Amino acid sequence: MRALTTPTEQPLLELDNLRVNFHTPTGIVRAVRGLSFTLGRERLGIVGESGSGKSMTGRAILDLIPYPGEVLADRLVYRGQDLLTMDKRTRRKLRGRHISMVMQDPKFSLNPVQTVGEQIAEAYRVHHKASVREARERSLVMLEAVQIREPGRVYELYPHEVSGGMGQRVMIAMMLIAEPDILIADEPTSALDVTVQLQILKILDDLVTERGMGLIFISHDLHLVQSFCDRVIVMYGGKAMETLPAAELADEAARSQRHPYTLGLLGCLPDLDHPKAKLATLTRDPAWLA
Amino acid sequence: MTTQPAIALDKLNVSFGEAHVVKDLSFTVLSGESYGIVGESGSGKSTVLRVLAGLNRDWSGEIAILGKAQPKIRDKAFHRQVQMVFQDPYGSLHPKKTVDDALAEPLTIHGIRDAEARIGRAMADVGLPPSFRFRYPHQLSGGQRQRVAIARALVLEPTILLLDEPTSALDVSIQAEVLNLLQALRQERKLTYILVSHDLAVVAHMCERLLVMQFGRGVEEMTAATLAARAPQTAYAQQLLTASEGFKRQAATIPA
Repeated sequence: MRALTTPTEQPLLELDNLRVNFHTPTGIVRAVRGLSFTLGRERLGIVGESGSGKSMTGRAILDLIPYPGEVLADRLVYRGQDLLTMDKRTRRKLRGRHISMVMQDPKFSLNPVQTVGEQIAEAYRVHHKASVREARERSLVMLEAVQIREPGRVYELYPHEVSGGMGQRVMIAMMLIAEPDILIADEPTSALDVTVQLQILKILDDLVTERGMGLIFISHDLHLVQSFCDRVIVMYGGKAMETLPAAELADEAARSQRHPYTLGLLGCLPDLDHPKAKLATLTRDPAWLA
Repeated sequence: MTTQPAIALDKLNVSFGEAHVVKDLSFTVLSGESYGIVGESGSGKSTVLRVLAGLNRDWSGEIAILGKAQPKIRDKAFHRQVQMVFQDPYGSLHPKKTVDDALAEPLTIHGIRDAEARIGRAMADVGLPPSFRFRYPHQLSGGQRQRVAIARALVLEPTILLLDEPTSALDVSIQAEVLNLLQALRQERKLTYILVSHDLAVVAHMCERLLVMQFGRGVEEMTAATLAARAPQTAYAQQLLTASEGFKRQAATIPA
């Protein structure tokens, strides 16, 4: 692993043969089918198309899979603590405090009738014994940390009064105020403009390099993952097609070693440097899921 | 190709109350050309398309389409020439109407008789199997829905298509299919496109010329070749181009 993990340090998260099944009237939908990885203090990207199970993986780690879904795994360990045998109460304490998730769309993930500042302060008070004033002060510091220029003013705003980029930063502030060890970011920038996107990535990048946080970055954007992450898992149909260092994604010399699905995904992107009359479309091989 | 521009915009201004969202915008699109508009959210790019499509009636300036100056309220003949495809195929199709209903409605409005044949043809053109005709939107995938939206625009056999982020809600593999379809249709029917997108690579792939917009103004007009050569003249266009190339750790890290 080219990550910041030293060999002696235990990984933040170990996952072995994770499965997520939904029992529906028409049969079992297998959203994740046997995914294994370990996460150190690094940026781990998960890419894939919609329905490949990448978001479900993130939710399964946090125990946020709704009924009728079930999460099965041979091993799911957070810093030596077995998440599978842990009772719900302890698991809930872990969630948000030690393992946190930033959802895709701030419009649907923030409470519309509470100011954004109160929501951040609330997140702090859930996990720490703190007075209202102290929580407020911490929240203002956090808003500043995510590059919001007038934290005092923004604190009092309701979610509909902030822009998409600002809403996303508010969500990140809310997740980071508890100082988690692992942050799962589910398409944190796909609703944002490119320039704002880079600011958000910068914030996440600093957290990994400075605080040693482990980041799981879920995205459908190959270019972004390639330039931002250390390692990438390419998912299709609930399975990992391959895991590779992000830098090798674009490496022409390593093409022959790539999985055909990864090549297919790369091939259908329009490219400024290599204009083509017709874009390649993806052919899917049922054998990949065997 | 005729010398007469398909679309000519002169000093277009749009305001929503206090907010002046499009400022003195002028450009021309030749017949058979594909023209891109890029910019960040709030730059006014979608508003320009809505004004062109006649969906926004509160504007000032001159708009000429196929040589005809356009009034605020467009007539039926206009809509037979100009059709629009929207960004979100999940939102732009009526959930309780079948594909057949969606494609039949424009034909009914325009009093076109051979609806049966036209619907079949439009579906075949966008690569939808005939068995999909009586399906509801929830029975279709995102890519299939966008094909329905394109078929709905094509069923009147227009000459100009206004495309507002037609693939940004789709997966890359589906995006490739939809872009290929749009390219093929354009070649076959000599269509004129205006494509609004935030993805510079998509615009460079689809368009011959493009306009960069910021705060409601046209910042720079360039050819796709200029974009591919990374040679825009203005700082903003250059910045947009750099930002779209992905995350750069060195550039982003502030020295301690």
